[in-house]
Amino acid sequence: MLKQDPLQYRELAAKAVQDKQLHKALGKLRDKFGRNAVNLYNQLSPEHDPRQDAKAVRRKIVDNLDVVLETLAANIRARGGHVHLAETGEDAVEYCLGVAKRFQVRRVVKGKSMLSEEIHLNDALEAAGIETVETDLGEYIVQLKGEAPSHIIAPAIHYTREQVGELFAEKLGEPYTDDPPTLTAMARKALREKMLGADMGISGGNTACAETGHVTIVSNEGNIRMATTMPRVHVVLLGIEKIAATLEDHDILLRMLTRAAAGQKISTYVSYVGGPRLDEEPDGPEEFHLVLVDNGRSRILADPDFREVLHCVRCGGCLNVCPVYMAIGGHSYGSPYCGPIGAVFTPLTQGINACHHLCQGETLCGACKQVCPVDNDLPRMLSLLRFKLANGDARWNVRPQSLPTKLVFGAWSVIMRHRRMYDAMSLLAGFCQRLLPRKNGWIRRLPGPLGGWTRGRDFPPLAKKSFARRWARRDTTRRDA
Amino acid sequence: MSRIIERVRQALGVRANDGRDTLVFAKSDDFVHCADAKATERDGWMESIRIEAKALNLQVHECPDLDACGEAIASLARERDPEWGTVKQIMRWSDPILEGLGLEGRLGAEIAVKSVPGADSFSQSEREEFRREVIASYIGLTTADYLLADTASLVLLGGLGRARSVSLVPSIHIAVVPRSRMLASYRQMLSLLSAMELPSNVSIITGPSKTADIEATLVHGAHGPREMHLFVVAS
Ligand code: SF4
Repeated sequence: MLKQDPLQYRELAAKAVQDKQLHKALGKLRDKFGRNAVNLYNQLSPEHDPRQDAKAVRRKIVDNLDVVLETLAANIRARGGHVHLAETGEDAVEYCLGVAKRFQVRRVVKGKSMLSEEIHLNDALEAAGIETVETDLGEYIVQLKGEAPSHIIAPAIHYTREQVGELFAEKLGEPYTDDPPTLTAMARKALREKMLGADMGISGGNTACAETGHVTIVSNEGNIRMATTMPRVHVVLLGIEKIAATLEDHDILLRMLTRAAAGQKISTYVSYVGGPRLDEEPDGPEEFHLVLVDNGRSRILADPDFREVLHCVRCGGCLNVCPVYMAIGGHSYGSPYCGPIGAVFTPLTQGINACHHLCQGETLCGACKQVCPVDNDLPRMLSLLRFKLANGDARWNVRPQSLPTKLVFGAWSVIMRHRRMYDAMSLLAGFCQRLLPRKNGWIRRLPGPLGGWTRGRDFPPLAKKSFARRWARRDTTRRDA
Repeated sequence: MSRIIERVRQALGVRANDGRDTLVFAKSDDFVHCADAKATERDGWMESIRIEAKALNLQVHECPDLDACGEAIASLARERDPEWGTVKQIMRWSDPILEGLGLEGRLGAEIAVKSVPGADSFSQSEREEFRREVIASYIGLTTADYLLADTASLVLLGGLGRARSVSLVPSIHIAVVPRSRMLASYRQMLSLLSAMELPSNVSIITGPSKTADIEATLVHGAHGPREMHLFVVAS
């Protein structure tokens, strides 16, 4: 798999902006998923916004995470499941490898799991000589291609049907077609064999119910039910924050999740899985393992300014409406979590300096907040990350990003506060801008470090007469009359 | 285990549970009571199921009794061809309602009807045998514990004679549900489940398997059944 690196953001984004195929593919996503979600929201009663209920539920859970975690673990164990709490990604990977070794696993089939991408589980399994097959159609396409997913819930959305057709012709030895139903049937056949012949299934979880001791997994394809029913062992990977306390919590959370994700009232399959098969069941896994992964989450939990990001239910809704995501696609973010949620979550788990492009690339337009089923204030958190990048922050080990930038903005802030200085500067700038290259009246290139502004777009010139001067003129003429 | 709980406690700035669990696991009265909502609007429910099912590509059939239902299922079974292989075999849950369909008699030697073995435990080889039979079946026949009016969803609780793979592995899933098992909503179902001891597996199924992973185009029949029929039986 390609190495992902958030520092390549600029380069990748610049390339993606030119990619016509990508925009054709992403346009479909926006028009179908994005619009569907908005339509479903519009059907809701105007007096009562269920997003606020969902937010309240998520807040209750995250603010009492210790209690919820303890209860979940105890209840799963009581039903004969194993529970492991992993502090780091490596710890979680090691645990999965251990289970695989104990059962002499040769093939793993996986349901889609962002967390497994986060901890690079596939690479580790393959390195241990275990065939690892993604079973979600989108994930499968991406895996055949040797790439990483580009969307939280629609991993292969960046491909056109023609590209998928070529891929299947090459890798599955099937005749070329660009017909989605035929392509789906090809994958159905290939993956069915894999799923029926695997020793271990690994899946993520959408949430869990602490009170009853079940993990909740939703899917439309049925691959997750296959991967968690047919193999001898089932391992679930779950971020420590993705739990619900009661079935009542599920009522609101699941409904909001599927609405925001794909504009569906409910997914085709919702499975509550709590432990291995019962003695009287002739099928189902013999062993069930739940791996609860921290990997930086408790650190986010400790910061009241960012705790809110843990409310996220990973619906991907914010991607489907984000103008930046639509322009640059998921791969540019260099992390499994892309789009607005990734721009906040990835820096907090992988280092704010190392991921500075992500939060600086977003526009703060606010669309992500509007569509989010738990009303996450991502724009607020993006601004805060930028603030920390500008000023440094000891708690998150942030070095101020660039001293010159800081100085320039410091000077700017002084100038803005002093009328005379401001006037003098705008006069000067008005004069200097005549020297700059233009196209259709717009400035093509700004000099020196300001050049960044005009790398991808033209810059509007300053007006011949400033607003303040025109206003002053108008004021005198009026008085004269 | 406790190390992470400790870290979480530290992050939250708390020392122990402190009785917070009563708050966290509290349920609203509204939720608790919606379990015993009176089923007075059943007719509206059926209409709602029909509307939802249409969009889902779920085929709904209404039958006056089990006999008519058995006949309809038998002719459906004759019409359809297996997706994998050539053998026509049906696997059904071991359940009195499904026995009442009399499929074995109706189909005779034409199409084999097998039922999930009911036993307190299974040996390795018995499980492998069962697995082969499910994989060899083109139709999986189940009933459901509930049928939800607001989403046209079926709720299948695991347990004796109710194997999970029957609603999943065969290409066609047929479910037979008495009208009396209809509930108003997903919420009402959760409220009922929340008052009982749950099995280790609950599947809520809403229509046949589908995907939209290629150019966001909806396609039915991804990895689960590609065709699904719901028979609602009046009595
Ligand atoms: S931030 Fe909100 S919209 Fe984005 S993935 Fe999370 S829950 Fe969905």
